[in-house]
Amino acid sequence: MWGSDLVAQRPEFFQVVKSPFDDTEVVCVKALVPDYAIVHVQEADIYGNCRILGPSYQDALLARAARKTIVTTERIVGTYRMQEEPKLTAIPHMLVEAVVELPGGARPGICYPEYQTVTWDDHKAYQKAVKAGEVPQFAAKMLEGRL
Amino acid sequence: MEYGKDYGKPEMMAAAIIREIREGDVVFHGLASSTPMVAMKAAKALGKEFTYVTLSDGLDHDWSNPPTVASTLTANTYEGSVATFGLDEIFDLYASGKGDIAFLSCLQMDKSGRIAMSYLGGDYDHPKLRGPGGAGSATLTPVTPRTTIWKTVHDKRTFVEHVDFATTAPDINKDFTLITPLCIFRKPAGEKYLKLDCIFPYTTVEEVKENTGWIIDEKEAPVMDPPTEQELAALKRVDPHNILAFEFK
Repeated sequence: MWGSDLVAQRPEFFQVVKSPFDDTEVVCVKALVPDYAIVHVQEADIYGNCRILGPSYQDALLARAARKTIVTTERIVGTYRMQEEPKLTAIPHMLVEAVVELPGGARPGICYPEYQTVTWDDHKAYQKAVKAGEVPQFAAKMLEGRL
Repeated sequence: MEYGKDYGKPEMMAAAIIREIREGDVVFHGLASSTPMVAMKAAKALGKEFTYVTLSDGLDHDWSNPPTVASTLTANTYEGSVATFGLDEIFDLYASGKGDIAFLSCLQMDKSGRIAMSYLGGDYDHPKLRGPGGAGSATLTPVTPRTTIWKTVHDKRTFVEHVDFATTAPDINKDFTLITPLCIFRKPAGEKYLKLDCIFPYTTVEEVKENTGWIIDEKEAPVMDPPTEQELAALKRVDPHNILAFEFK
């Protein structure tokens, strides 16, 4: 963060302090603690153990940082899947507040390898809904008949 | 060495990016970075040995996967990877000095390499244009030995005399490079300002000066060799849908 005007602009997030190990100055970044993280995964069991079977981005970090994590999943699987390959469990159950089975839950975005291209018409409709303040109506339309 | 004749600004910029990469480098490009993505795949196709990391989690993905859209987050930068290595891990890697190049871009830049990515116009809370912010550039620029900015336009709106709010700025003790469709600027380690390093074959120092908002002291600059036939063939091979052209439309 050295050289960034963000440090002076957002003192609530960035502070320059002396390193406790030597006299060098370091930028400290305040930990973000979101109230909720909402994460979509390919497989979860009913306890909230999650398998991310493609790029995981920073989803596991988000789940660790947030006070509560809600998981939506392409499908619910048996816990034996996690027991077979524990290394593939990206988010363990104790970090998860709720699991929602929601195939296609990342649309109009992508969920590798289930659906790999953005659904552009829906994406444009979403952007329009955001601008118009009509996200609940957009979400209701997307979820129609699926819950 | 045979030089290609059928090339334009996208291919010249891609060739310049390929030539920045040295054997053994660890190289990163960011989001929505079709230009370095195609160039880095082509560098792999040319047999250059380097480590390719990016936001898709893929590490050294199968470079022969052709991109079909300009997004750098699709399966093509993930499938065939030898490991997954996420952005948080990439930040840690670079912070511990083990990265070499980060290919990043900017909304605006000035002569000292200060980069605007947060906003343009107005002030921080009421900007005319809100940018993507400083996630990658503010974190990586100060710790990357050879930060390399690519920008597919070269005009006075982009390269300005003074950036009002710098999302990030180069470390004085590190190399810093800017590649545009016309030329390459470099700030060598230990120096404060960008210098005109070389121009591309289809332009002149005069044209570069006319389109740059800061004062260029150099009166002349060497002309970079055009893309070779091998470089052009590698670009075609890894990018059959010509995603390289996307940023230049």
